[in-house]
Amino acid sequence: MKFAYYPGCSARSTCAELNEATHLVAKRLGLDLVQLESATCTGARELRAIDPAGFYALNVRILALAESHGLPLMTICNTCTLNVLDAHAAFVSDPELAKSVNARLAGENLRYSGRTKISHFLWVLHEEIGEQRLRQLVVNPLAGLSVAAFYGCHITRPPAHYGFVDSRNNRALERLAEILGCRPIDYSGRTECCGFHTAAHDERVAIKLTGKQVLAAKAGGATTMVTPCPLCHTVLDSFQPEMEKDIEQKLEMPILHLPQLVGLALGLSPEQLRIDRHMVPAGVLDRYAAAASTLPK
Amino acid sequence: MVPPGDAPAPVVPAVDGRRLGQAEQHDTLAARNTRLTPGDLLTLRVRRSQVTAGGDAYQEFRVPYHKWMRLLDALNWIAENAAPDLAFRWFCGSKMCGTCAVRMNGREVLACWEAVEPSMIVEPLRNLPVIRDLVVDRTRYEEKVASLEPWIERPKPYAGFPEPLTHRQMKNASQALDCISCMCCYSACPVIGLGNLTDFAGPAPLVQLGQTALDPRNNHEKVRRSIELTGIFNCVSCYKCEEVCPAHIPIVTGVIEPLKAKAAQLAPEMAGHSFALRDIVARRGRLDPGELVLRVQGLRGLRNLGRIWRLLARRKINPIKTFLGIKTSAAGAAARLLGDGVGKP
Repeated sequence: MKFAYYPGCSARSTCAELNEATHLVAKRLGLDLVQLESATCTGARELRAIDPAGFYALNVRILALAESHGLPLMTICNTCTLNVLDAHAAFVSDPELAKSVNARLAGENLRYSGRTKISHFLWVLHEEIGEQRLRQLVVNPLAGLSVAAFYGCHITRPPAHYGFVDSRNNRALERLAEILGCRPIDYSGRTECCGFHTAAHDERVAIKLTGKQVLAAKAGGATTMVTPCPLCHTVLDSFQPEMEKDIEQKLEMPILHLPQLVGLALGLSPEQLRIDRHMVPAGVLDRYAAAASTLPK
Repeated sequence: MVPPGDAPAPVVPAVDGRRLGQAEQHDTLAARNTRLTPGDLLTLRVRRSQVTAGGDAYQEFRVPYHKWMRLLDALNWIAENAAPDLAFRWFCGSKMCGTCAVRMNGREVLACWEAVEPSMIVEPLRNLPVIRDLVVDRTRYEEKVASLEPWIERPKPYAGFPEPLTHRQMKNASQALDCISCMCCYSACPVIGLGNLTDFAGPAPLVQLGQTALDPRNNHEKVRRSIELTGIFNCVSCYKCEEVCPAHIPIVTGVIEPLKAKAAQLAPEMAGHSFALRDIVARRGRLDPGELVLRVQGLRGLRNLGRIWRLLARRKINPIKTFLGIKTSAAGAAARLLGDGVGKP
């Protein structure tokens, strides 16, 4: 299976370990990733509000790049996923917009016809690899690892894209955790917001929003959390000392990127998956490191 | 059953990864409308004020189900048969008056429009003071809306009918006009849930403002004055408001973002974060979080030395790239598409 792969800005900077882990895990899964090197930022939440024309140009260009390779697009960031989904939806429903965006892309001989299939890595795991194949690939079952899923927002809302009456009913991460041998933890914060999008100007919101969720996960018995979004990861991991100060309690909760959790079960070590780049140490994973070292490379 | 000679079904069934959990959690309207049979006993645990000497508590009621039963029908059954003192508001019973919103199993719903579930916890809306049981005090919201002057002031005299307006110009204002002021979004908003931490007005007042501020006939100076009172850039874009809106208003994309665009145009100092991000992407192709924080926070961004040190130690930030403004492999494309200065203040 071959994908045009869009890592996004975060996985190329603050969360570079996510990009490394994705490439390693993709290899084990038999996914062939063509990284879109010239793809720009999708504009986060800011560009779409203040410069919609620029927003559509950047995002449709990413879709056009994938289309020029004749490949579906795979993303690893919730916000990027929603941005390209929104741009695609606007493109196919508004011929006037489509014409003007394509005119902007014509300078570099790019043209979008609206055919690129967009898929986040989480959906690729369920739809393309499938439960049966995944179970065969698990060589280091994560038995005993209690994992709390933190979905974030843009992979389960808005309802117009994902169709849930109640976004809390999403079970994609828990189902995956079960396949990998983990014990998924139920807690109140699964589909809550991390507050990343206002953190650059007021990080207090992110700290207040997430501290209670990590605490709820811990109270539910979680020994680690997993997220499909590098932006959520940044808040949950990098801001954890500030959350602890705010709620006056120790959290010490390791936060994993989704491909890292999958990679551990596929026999990759925490070092290979660059879990050492996280702020919160993940001592709870040491036993899987020992197990990984005994597996054939 | 596959007839002989036909292609066999694929070994791995087709799965929609986006909607996993939807079927097993009965998360469709059809499933929700067919789970119960007339005569089944529903369990409602209703949040009551001062029901015991100890203060607020949940009181449990068993209500017999009848076909097409809504939450409002169950509450009325309780008021008529079990607890005549139960306080809840409703008027039209048909999704128009916006008075019957409550939280059912942790989600904001209109009691008149929501199918009952076998087991329900029913609570008043959040983020507004409770008057009694399920009734909240809407004064805070109404005062905020009034302060935003949600009306049209024409800078020019009325030109007479028909006014030269297109559907495209009126699209967002007209979507906002579907609002029934039920307060579901206000209750669901996590930023409003943080109290006075920010000056964010919240989704419901913004939708009320959008009805007139997004109307091209309105006076720009008045719109600017109103938007400056909203703290709109504190919206975290979580879409919880959109998810619970019974009128299906695209609150984030159809109201808050167009209002942010108005703010960027009329009060650009409010949108510093957005302009900084656009400028970084236009110059360097991808976002450098270090540069964004420095541009938005200035020297204040250097105050948290502990975190900066932690980020440096894990090589999560790269000050050399930040200070030299090193371009990424996407810089050429970004400059072509954004380098025209559009969107700058």
